[in-house]
Amino acid sequence: MAINADTLTAGGPGTPARPLVVSRARTSRRIFLDRFAARTVVLGGIVIISAILAILFVIAAEVWPLFRPPRVVALERLSAGATPAPGAGLGVDEYREAASMVTADGTIQLVPLKPTVTRAAPLPIAGLEGARVTAVAAHGLDRYAIGTSDGRVIPLEMKIEVGFEGARRTVSVKPAFAAPVVLDPGRKRAILRLTVASPDSGPVTVAQVGPHDLIVQTVVEKKTLIGGTRREESVQALGVPVDGEIVALRLDGRGDDLVIGTSRGQLVRYDMRDRGTPTVVETATVGAAPVTALSFLIGERTLVAADAMGAVSSWQVVPPPTGGAATLTRINEFESHRAPVVAISPSRRDKGFVTADAAGRVKLHYGTSGQTFLTFGDGRPLRAVVFAPKADGVVAVDERGEVVDWRVDNPHPEITLKTLFGKVWYEGYSRPAWVWQSTGGTDDFEAKFSLTPLIYGTLKGTFYALLFAVPLALLAAIYVSEFMHPAVKGYVKPAVEIMAALPSVVLGFLAGLWLAPAVERIVPGLFLLPAVETVVILAALLAWRALPPGVRGPFRPGTEVFVLVPVVLLGAWFALTLGGLVEQRLLVGDYRGWLLAALGLTYDQRNSLVVGVAMGFAVVPLIFTIAEDALANVPQHLRAGSLALGASRWQTAVRIVLPTASPGIFSAIMIGLGRAVGETMIVLMATGNTPVMDWNMFSGFRALSANIAVELPEAPEGGTLFRVLFLAAFLLFCLTFVLNTTAEVVRLRLRRKYRYL
Amino acid sequence: MRRLWRSGEPFIWLTGGALAAALIMVVGLIAIIVGNAAGFFWPAEVVRVTLTDGTVLTGPLADRERIPGRGEAWRIKLKVANRDLYGADFVWVDEAAVVRRERPADVAVIERSEWGLLIGRIAALEEGGAVVARDAAAWPEIERWLPAAGALRRQIRAIEKGDIGAINFEQEKIRLRLRGLEARGATASADAGALRARLATLQEQYRVQEARLAELRARQTARMVVIADGGKEKALPLAQVLGVSFPNTMGPVAKVAHYVADVWGFVSEDPRESNTEGGVFPAIFGTVMMVMIMSIMVTPLGVLAAFYLREYARQGTFVSAVRIAVNNLAGVPSIVFGVFGVGFFIYAVGGAIDRLFYAEALPTPTFGTGGILWASLTLALLTIPVVIVATEEGLAAIPGGTREASLALGATKLETTLKVVLPAVMPSILTGLILAMARAAGEVAPLMITGVVKLAPALPVDGFWPFVHLDRKFMHLGFHIYDVGFQSPNVDAARPMVFATTLLLLVIVVLLNLFAIATRNRLRRKYATSAV
Repeated sequence: MAINADTLTAGGPGTPARPLVVSRARTSRRIFLDRFAARTVVLGGIVIISAILAILFVIAAEVWPLFRPPRVVALERLSAGATPAPGAGLGVDEYREAASMVTADGTIQLVPLKPTVTRAAPLPIAGLEGARVTAVAAHGLDRYAIGTSDGRVIPLEMKIEVGFEGARRTVSVKPAFAAPVVLDPGRKRAILRLTVASPDSGPVTVAQVGPHDLIVQTVVEKKTLIGGTRREESVQALGVPVDGEIVALRLDGRGDDLVIGTSRGQLVRYDMRDRGTPTVVETATVGAAPVTALSFLIGERTLVAADAMGAVSSWQVVPPPTGGAATLTRINEFESHRAPVVAISPSRRDKGFVTADAAGRVKLHYGTSGQTFLTFGDGRPLRAVVFAPKADGVVAVDERGEVVDWRVDNPHPEITLKTLFGKVWYEGYSRPAWVWQSTGGTDDFEAKFSLTPLIYGTLKGTFYALLFAVPLALLAAIYVSEFMHPAVKGYVKPAVEIMAALPSVVLGFLAGLWLAPAVERIVPGLFLLPAVETVVILAALLAWRALPPGVRGPFRPGTEVFVLVPVVLLGAWFALTLGGLVEQRLLVGDYRGWLLAALGLTYDQRNSLVVGVAMGFAVVPLIFTIAEDALANVPQHLRAGSLALGASRWQTAVRIVLPTASPGIFSAIMIGLGRAVGETMIVLMATGNTPVMDWNMFSGFRALSANIAVELPEAPEGGTLFRVLFLAAFLLFCLTFVLNTTAEVVRLRLRRKYRYL
Repeated sequence: MRRLWRSGEPFIWLTGGALAAALIMVVGLIAIIVGNAAGFFWPAEVVRVTLTDGTVLTGPLADRERIPGRGEAWRIKLKVANRDLYGADFVWVDEAAVVRRERPADVAVIERSEWGLLIGRIAALEEGGAVVARDAAAWPEIERWLPAAGALRRQIRAIEKGDIGAINFEQEKIRLRLRGLEARGATASADAGALRARLATLQEQYRVQEARLAELRARQTARMVVIADGGKEKALPLAQVLGVSFPNTMGPVAKVAHYVADVWGFVSEDPRESNTEGGVFPAIFGTVMMVMIMSIMVTPLGVLAAFYLREYARQGTFVSAVRIAVNNLAGVPSIVFGVFGVGFFIYAVGGAIDRLFYAEALPTPTFGTGGILWASLTLALLTIPVVIVATEEGLAAIPGGTREASLALGATKLETTLKVVLPAVMPSILTGLILAMARAAGEVAPLMITGVVKLAPALPVDGFWPFVHLDRKFMHLGFHIYDVGFQSPNVDAARPMVFATTLLLLVIVVLLNLFAIATRNRLRRKYATSAV
């Protein structure tokens, strides 16, 4: 600020000093500026700080949709004017604009679900020739098989097409009927139930024509050498000697397994892999009531069975944990309908499915988690149900031929607390397990989002890092604060603190590419190292004391560390040599073989031991600095008092200084823990990143943090994986925030305590 | 003995041993990095070994180790290079199988733009199929030809990057504007017509440049014939030769010159062969630019927040709680900040910017994907607690009397803050900033998800308007280490390169830290004397 010379002109003798005049305008401008600045700083400060603290909320907002309860909204109720044929003749297009239905009176009806869509006239089914439709089966996308009352099957391919006619949207079906296949040429019995599979090797059709009678038609398409394919068609009758009657039928999509539900509540599984000779494999009991509906979920591995009592359960053919042949095993039991279930419809994009019952209720389930999300409906007995292709809606038909359309909002059905943290019985596993496997090669891949192995990996890495770092850092801190010469301290402390500045990518790189192969060579020596070092250091002390004082001269107390550097190096060399000998003599020259044989442990090159050392490297300076501060800040008069009473330096350090500073040491360890939990690059580079769960020191792991770094770039925004990774970040944030806050509060209380001492 | 035990001296030595171990680890780590990195550029002597079975292998010695499980038997690792001829870069040789070792003077180590090093004897120089010089006469002739070949190569590259690059850039822009017009239904407007005309002109220009390129390429007909040990012959176009050296005949001065040139090439050149060869210039540039953007963001915000907390806010439980929370943010894992950056900066803010200003480019994101701006902002957020804490510490260290004196003289609070407090706290702000820069330079995990790539096609700053492209992805030294060391197809050959990059990063980070520590210590001393 420039000095205003006028205002400061002093008066002389006889002339009174001119009063210091500061213009009012200027004063008010200064006051205005000051107030304005104060407001700006306060506002700016609050905005910045709340923005920083809002991190948690932004992350939480991305996670929240995972746990939002699913919602359902009833949209339309329209009359189709006809009742659906028995079986799975109901379909709906991708945008839920229209439903298609094979009716009992032999037509295909298109029911518009949106008011903008015009209704088309029903189309007759070609080749019906006066027979009735008695069963409908759906297979693949948009393919159906229609069973007739005179023992024939009419294949049908039907797509709902959305187009424009000028500005009007039109919806139409283009059915393509193939020539009917006569399954029961002799007796022309009506087809009661029908199931079809169409694998690459050729379609398989199984029709029920009597209480115990099935007809199996198989077409085998073989590529011939000269090009072109040869069709071999065969039709055979199959008598099924079951207790009660056959009341449900289902082939899996590969045509390998045929599952039959009986009126006594049993499932009979046929092996159809040899197309010519179906053989009974096993019988399993669902319950006491007749099985009313069977369906495979996407991927064709999980079978859902429902019965007349309303029980819904999922089954898989899996080998028992004890080994042996694979059997049908009950995986999950879903919420019961308490009324006969009439239809099951699986989702085409995930392991979800809907069930409808005769009391008018629809339930939405998820196969992997075994959870039932929603129950809805208005009490009119239902005949058929279909899950929309995008799993965003459900269409059902009741017994009077009225079509009901629901919109379902459940974007992340695969995520529940149980699938995130609990054991889940996944497809192809012989028992429930914790598994993280977020992406797979195929569309019907069952994503496995268990965070447990990742949390386990994080804790494992942290444990080994602290196991290495805590003793080293604390002992070094005690030495520096209590015994080291102050002149040396000024150089040694920054040297250790430089360790804290080492970028973790550097540590990770060295751990992965240099340390891992090095450790692999010297594992036995490494285990001998602590003991050998102790012995060598004690021996060095004895030798030191035996030296004449003249040699010891330049080393004052508090500079032992310079003597110790070569001693420690010597000890390390000694330990490694000894380790080599031990390996040769006791471990038959190959410690890895010995580990596997004696302890059952496998050795990975990038393992927890390597991570422990590398991450310990990152954690040592943190713990060291904070612990050293806490120790050094213990009031000097406590030490003086103790020494004056005749205690030795060591006794003073251990009995007086250490207990006083213990909260500070606790907070140092907490901070180190927080750092190790969140460390990313070291675990990413120094482990194999396989999400396994064991405490084996010689195997790798996958940590929460590394998992985020690996998978987030590939996760589509807003998808389940994306949100689960945000959840992982949320957990890390909370964990470290709690650890650090605890440490900070403890430290502040300690500081207050020192003030009173 | 017993007295010694009771005096606690053994325990003191044990604690000293722990410290010694920690120091050895720090020094050892730095020694490993320096040792591995520094030797990389040194023109190592080439050894030719003849094995018992008559095989001849030539290359610099890379490693020597004991054969596991065979007692005192040793083996050596030769860098035989010639990947295109024999497949492997390195060969392990059992020392017992070596019949003869020699250091032939005529072996050339040729650095080329593809396939790594070529090691062998130069046999001839060919021009368009005709031999120009042979054997001993070949090398002097090649030496005469190389500058011209290099100039031609640079010219071609300049056309590809500069002229054609500019045409592509403008074409892309015009295409986007056309799409924007289309979206507004103005396909037939005069604007669109002009743009289409311009596009056609550019297309024509492109064809002209292509023709020029083809003409220049047609001139690259000179080839040198190199005979590698093992008998295979390689006719290497001179256009691919980056440098030829004869390490076995080099004097110490020549070696030092070669060393310096190599180091300079390392820091100033673009990477080649998926980052395993060449330099790291784009990574250095990306790192520096990111740290600079971060500093520009973090300093005013951090200082403002610190001034608010220490000078303007009413001190109480709430402010203490906020202070603890801000301090603790420094301990939150960096990957969490990266996740925040992805969720907030990239998808929320970047997505909104794209919808508002770059709608014509959608669905290709402009700002709605990782880029240097978002990475810098994420790191700014990560380091803001560092700046706040350092500034606050500085503010707390200023004696209250200084402020009171200023206020007593009639200065307002703002004037006091700007003219008394701010100059005094400047060194602390600087310390905080340097620490923040050091942390940001070494941080990799959050960058991996917010915009770092292994190979960026262009620097974030170039000659095309608006010159600074904050939406571009960039390269980073730390990520370079991760990528080359762990994702590269030929980790063994790339390892020395990674060590060199590591050393570079380490030097930057450690220097910044030492600078910050020194500043902090000087400040402490200054206030220790003034705060009476």
